[in-house]
Amino acid sequence: MSSEPKDLDRDILETLLGSLERFPTKSGELTAQTDLSADLSLDSVSMMEILVEIEDHYDISLPLNMMANVTTVQDLVDQIKPLVESTS
Amino acid sequence: MSISDRFTELAHIRDSLGSLAADPSRVVMEKILSPTEAVIDGKPTILVGTNNYLGLTFDPDLIDAACTAMHEQGTGTTGSRMANGSFFSHAALEEEFAKFYDMPSAMLFSTGYQTNLGLLMGLLRPGDKVVLDAHSHACIYDGCRISGADFFAFKHNDAGDLRKRLRRMGPDAEGALVIAEGLYSMLGDTAPLAELCAVAKEYGAWFMVDEAHSFGIYGETGRGLCEEAGILDQVDFITGTFSKSLASLGGFCVSRHPEMRLLRYGSRPYIFSASSSPANIAAAHAALRAVRDRPDLKERLWANAERLHAGLSGLGYKLASAPSPVIAVRVPSHEEAARTWNELLASGIYVNLVVPPAAPDGESLLRCSLSAGHSFDQIDRIVAGFEAAFGGAPQPLAHAAGAR
Repeated sequence: MSSEPKDLDRDILETLLGSLERFPTKSGELTAQTDLSADLSLDSVSMMEILVEIEDHYDISLPLNMMANVTTVQDLVDQIKPLVESTS
Repeated sequence: MSISDRFTELAHIRDSLGSLAADPSRVVMEKILSPTEAVIDGKPTILVGTNNYLGLTFDPDLIDAACTAMHEQGTGTTGSRMANGSFFSHAALEEEFAKFYDMPSAMLFSTGYQTNLGLLMGLLRPGDKVVLDAHSHACIYDGCRISGADFFAFKHNDAGDLRKRLRRMGPDAEGALVIAEGLYSMLGDTAPLAELCAVAKEYGAWFMVDEAHSFGIYGETGRGLCEEAGILDQVDFITGTFSKSLASLGGFCVSRHPEMRLLRYGSRPYIFSASSSPANIAAAHAALRAVRDRPDLKERLWANAERLHAGLSGLGYKLASAPSPVIAVRVPSHEEAARTWNELLASGIYVNLVVPPAAPDGESLLRCSLSAGHSFDQIDRIVAGFEAAFGGAPQPLAHAAGAR
């Protein structure tokens, strides 16, 4: 990726928010702190769809075991970032 | 989450099944009449959801072998293979599996679930890489998760997606473990094993196949889909269970690598579980001889599978796969699936009700598993039962079958 490291967070966040906006949120607001399960009620199939979109966008593979550390959108950004950096 | 919160969560799951009036856990076999019939709710019921593929659970040879073993060796081993639980009969069955596959290593485990758990927990360490088919059984996911390895899913039966996953791994692909199954238990479709194996080998990865539902059924001598695909000399690990075609309880792993036997020293499910009982081992051993010596069993199973598939296709139902010993009717509505499952049970036909997330692709399934023990008359009654349960309605709507 050509993004500078300081912009990478924002780039990943915007990409994720773009993928997630088709799912309604309970609060009506989608932010970095949105809880993927509690606020978005993403089922496992929808979650897999989102992950595949992100994987293809950045040409990375996300290990399924990383999901144990993910609650919010920002958590997912934090997991994706080092994988994107390692392909730069 | 507290334990009381977890109880609340589990009660919610139970209630959601209860609202469909279709909780499969309430089914109790009150009397077992044969491999294909039992009394449920006081009524003789055709069993077409028990994975009893070769119909050997009442076979006189298996029963004699199990009874003799119990008289000679007792009811249980009371210990693990690494302590006091290695009897001559366990060693003999391991030798028989190694000989049957013409491979140097074979190990037995206490259940099919523990076989995959035991192999994966023994082989993998944190940081190792695994790529598994997205439809893999829970025990494969659990083994990967507990091992601490990084694991990735490739799209079901998609060799191109497997290649993409391995490419993205870079140098880590060499030495990664690729996992597929032979026959997938929910949809009844089979894996393109030759293609998947070729991709794995191209990247220097290991290749493991779970033949739980395909052992004894596929391949010229019943060794499974690896035999049918012609990759027995390339696949690194094959696992299987005793609780389906072999009509017993336990599991096996065979490998072309002599070092696989070293897992005895590092597989916690193997080290810390009591070994299979002598009766289970003797029944599995007799069943293995039946797989080898009685090809007519396989032929009868396939004839039954073809007949049920043709019958249900003829009614216009949407089936999840080409003919195989697992035939699943896709039902888009969970409520309709539950209602039909209840109707079938009330009419004396037991199938498996499978709802998401156990059912892939978001649809519910009415899953049938065939047996060599079914008669054509039973198959015809099953087809008629489906037609009556759906009330002659064109639901679920037609278009049959994906690729086998």
